[in-house]
Amino acid sequence: MPDWGRSVNEEMQQHLDDRYDELRAAGASHEEAVRATRAELDLDEPAESRKGADVRERSTRPASAAAVAFGVGDVVGDLRYAVRGLGKNPLFATTVVATLALAIGATAAIFSVVNAIVLRPLPYPDADRLVVVWGNLPSIHLQDIVVSGAEYVDFRDRSRVFDAIGAYDPAAFNLTGQGEAERLNGVVVTGSLFPLVGARTAIGRVLQDADNQPGRARVAVLSHAVWQRRFGGDPGVVGRLVALEGQLTEIVGVLRPGTVFAFGENEPDVWMPIVIDAELLSDNNRGSRTYTVLARLKPGVTIAQAQEAMNHVADSLVRDYPSHYRGGFTTTVRNLKGDILSATTAGLYLLLGAVSLVLAIACANIAGLLLVRAHARRKEIAIRAALGARRSRIGRQLLTESLVVSTIGGGVGLALAFWAVKALVALAPADIPRLHEVALDGRVVAFTAALSMLTGIVFGVAPALQASRADLTEALKEGSRTIAGGHRVRRALVVAEVALSLVVLIGAGLLINSFARLQDVAPGFDPSHLLTFRLAPSTAKYTFEKSEQLYADVFSQLASKPGVEAVSAIDALPFSGYGGDRSFFLEAKLNPPPSEKPDEQVRFVSAGYFSAMRIPLRVGREVTPRDTLRSPRVAVVNEALANKYWPHEDPIGKRVAFDRQEPAWYEVVGVAGNIRHRTLDAAEKPELYVPYSQPLFQGWTARPMFIVVRTSFQPTSAAGAVREVVASIDPDQPISSVRTMEDRIGESLGRRRFNTLLLSLFAALAVTLAAIGIYGIVAFAVAERTHEIGVRLALGARPRHVLAMIVADGMALVLAGTALGLAGAAAATRVMASQVFGISATDAATFAVVTIALALVGCCACLVPARRAIMLDPVTTLRAE
Amino acid sequence: MQHNNAMLDRELKKGSAELLILSLLENEPRHGYDLSKLIETRSGGLLKFRVASLYPLLYRLEHRGWIQGRWVEKAGQRRRRYYKLTAAGAGVLASQRNTWRDFVEAINRITRVEHA
Repeated sequence: MPDWGRSVNEEMQQHLDDRYDELRAAGASHEEAVRATRAELDLDEPAESRKGADVRERSTRPASAAAVAFGVGDVVGDLRYAVRGLGKNPLFATTVVATLALAIGATAAIFSVVNAIVLRPLPYPDADRLVVVWGNLPSIHLQDIVVSGAEYVDFRDRSRVFDAIGAYDPAAFNLTGQGEAERLNGVVVTGSLFPLVGARTAIGRVLQDADNQPGRARVAVLSHAVWQRRFGGDPGVVGRLVALEGQLTEIVGVLRPGTVFAFGENEPDVWMPIVIDAELLSDNNRGSRTYTVLARLKPGVTIAQAQEAMNHVADSLVRDYPSHYRGGFTTTVRNLKGDILSATTAGLYLLLGAVSLVLAIACANIAGLLLVRAHARRKEIAIRAALGARRSRIGRQLLTESLVVSTIGGGVGLALAFWAVKALVALAPADIPRLHEVALDGRVVAFTAALSMLTGIVFGVAPALQASRADLTEALKEGSRTIAGGHRVRRALVVAEVALSLVVLIGAGLLINSFARLQDVAPGFDPSHLLTFRLAPSTAKYTFEKSEQLYADVFSQLASKPGVEAVSAIDALPFSGYGGDRSFFLEAKLNPPPSEKPDEQVRFVSAGYFSAMRIPLRVGREVTPRDTLRSPRVAVVNEALANKYWPHEDPIGKRVAFDRQEPAWYEVVGVAGNIRHRTLDAAEKPELYVPYSQPLFQGWTARPMFIVVRTSFQPTSAAGAVREVVASIDPDQPISSVRTMEDRIGESLGRRRFNTLLLSLFAALAVTLAAIGIYGIVAFAVAERTHEIGVRLALGARPRHVLAMIVADGMALVLAGTALGLAGAAAATRVMASQVFGISATDAATFAVVTIALALVGCCACLVPARRAIMLDPVTTLRAE
Repeated sequence: MQHNNAMLDRELKKGSAELLILSLLENEPRHGYDLSKLIETRSGGLLKFRVASLYPLLYRLEHRGWIQGRWVEKAGQRRRRYYKLTAAGAGVLASQRNTWRDFVEAINRITRVEHA
């Protein structure tokens, strides 16, 4: 038994059409024919008239369509009908629900991340008024640098625009005498910093300005985490003396859990006061810059006003200390949040942009699907209206149906978003600031759900309502104007979908291409089979000479272990995040103008570093154990430095010094290959390597070093031996940051891998949605033309030609979309310039490959329904049963 | 006209409309519009089906298994639903026709007596 509702509608339409045609053939005008046709339906009768009710009585039992048309009338009935209607068309319902769910899920998840990291204020009191004050040394192009203690005190005393101002410097402290020695992350701060960042204690007190005064007892505040981990949460810890850096220090307080300070870095475990003494403020130390300055603007003071005020302060410093600021000195006042997030926002906004495009594609897809459905039901609705159902009734029914689909889609999307946020946080590289604050955001969910529902309502209900308003006879005529209009809208939607997905795809293609190129970048050394760790001898326990012995002992004992091929050390290991520049003098140019004063990356290395790292030596020799203070000072430079300072000369034998007054000359004995230091995509910098055993100045102190251990086996398995060796030499000496070199490089790619992975996922989603859209419109067109296709085939058309005709029709949309998409991508990918590597943001090859791939997907989406059409037996098609 | 329509509606309820449909389908399959045209022309315009009555009636007849509809598509035309009489329908038609004949004869006998 056919579906009576649909079947009878079609019969009734035909009846009315036949009547109309007959009347016209008999010479009636259009108006007369329409009037007579309407009379057949008794349209002048009120909708709920007795006759209507009569008809209902006789005809509604099995007929849900009629049930609605004649107004059964309650919400439950509407719901039941909607669910049944969707159940009859499970493919439609599934597609709409899946599309909605994926769009809502992805958008809500990404927007939750962006909201938590970028949009939401920092978890500090009056966070919007917090600023960072950086120093600039314009003559040597140094910007956003930390400042010295003296400069901080001048900022504090000479500025009038801040409510509060504080300084800090990340540090690390060896904790000893409490079980296993451990290197704790810490920070030295001014007491004023605690109220600035809203840090309060669970027990004890925070540090105060008085603690920064000289001559006070050494005090420290612990993080809640380290209090729990190392002191078992013992409240008696306050007042206890512990050995930090080998010096007894009194614990005065424990911070509350959840205190946030170091965004993207490890949270400090130990907070100690900066000692602001005469030494720190001396002229000698005015140039030793280590402190970051944090301040809160007075209410009503803008960043620009604060900058203006700080310009005056900087000018006054230049006036008062001319010998220190010959090349000038300026400051930069920047909003704290912007400062923290500057490196993160570009990638996140890129993802947000991509996911917004996916949402737009999903909405276009849903719109297209609903338009097809509305078209399919147009005649049914017209009949219902003609049979007396009020428009409001029909509207309510369709609204119910849209809402049912949207609610299911929204619910699944919400679950998806909840899961996706967790997955995002788990997948995201740990150095993204504020990652722990990320949670599914209710407003975001509400926003995306509302948007998708609105799409459903606008495209599901509006065309249907229009159908019910339309002149019945007109509506029943094939190919009437409004139907053609709907068709145009659907085709435009598919073009838009293709265009938008091409933009996302090209973006993903550029990132994938960049990532592949980046992974192929050689770091300049051999990162395989390298275990690395950091050893920081406490300066209280180790003089420089003692530290040399410590390192020598560690090297020799490690080297004697089976499977260890080489051991050496460097102060700033590649991919460790450490590094630093230092100014020096060339023997040939002792008095350069300030802007030409050499200032490059200077590293301290132990003997055999280059061979342990397998950094190739281009000329000369590397640092050996014979390079000590008893022998001439030597240095190794990399090719970049050699080319910069001695472009047309032999660098071997050239000499550099770090002090102009009493120069101790270091002679270049070797030129090493360039290496990537911070990231694989960073430019290779000039580097100057100096032996650890030939310190730059008298009174040099022990320095922390990264030890590199080259093994013949899996490097992680050497970690146990490393701990054992160090503990046997000095049980109080902790080691930290034990990692393989390959892990370090992998971590440096973390953000890029994350962005690439997500954008690829979005691109896959976009293409799938676009393919569904293309498939939908072609399948619909084929269904509408089944008869025509049957006739063509029956008349002897080759199936090949029919196939080509259908595919060509669909591909016209695909190609229009790709043309638009290419233009859009060319414009949109410009914002990705900072995200691509090794290719331009408008890389022709990527554009071409991705466009062809999308066109192929589009072609497949056209082929499936087209093939189905030509597989039809023409006779069957024509007989149509 | 309006009067006749109202009367036909009542007749339909009583079942005589069923007889009309079944009779018209006795010799060949017909579609709905064809049926309504035939009823109108053969009754000289006296009997006329409204769209909202005819198709529900066809549905009911099909539901009872008296007639069977199927979609037929002819080249160059839209598809139409043709109804044909089933074996069960033929039986019903025969019995209804007898009943109707008896009924009409009874009426005629009475009316003739009056005139005679």
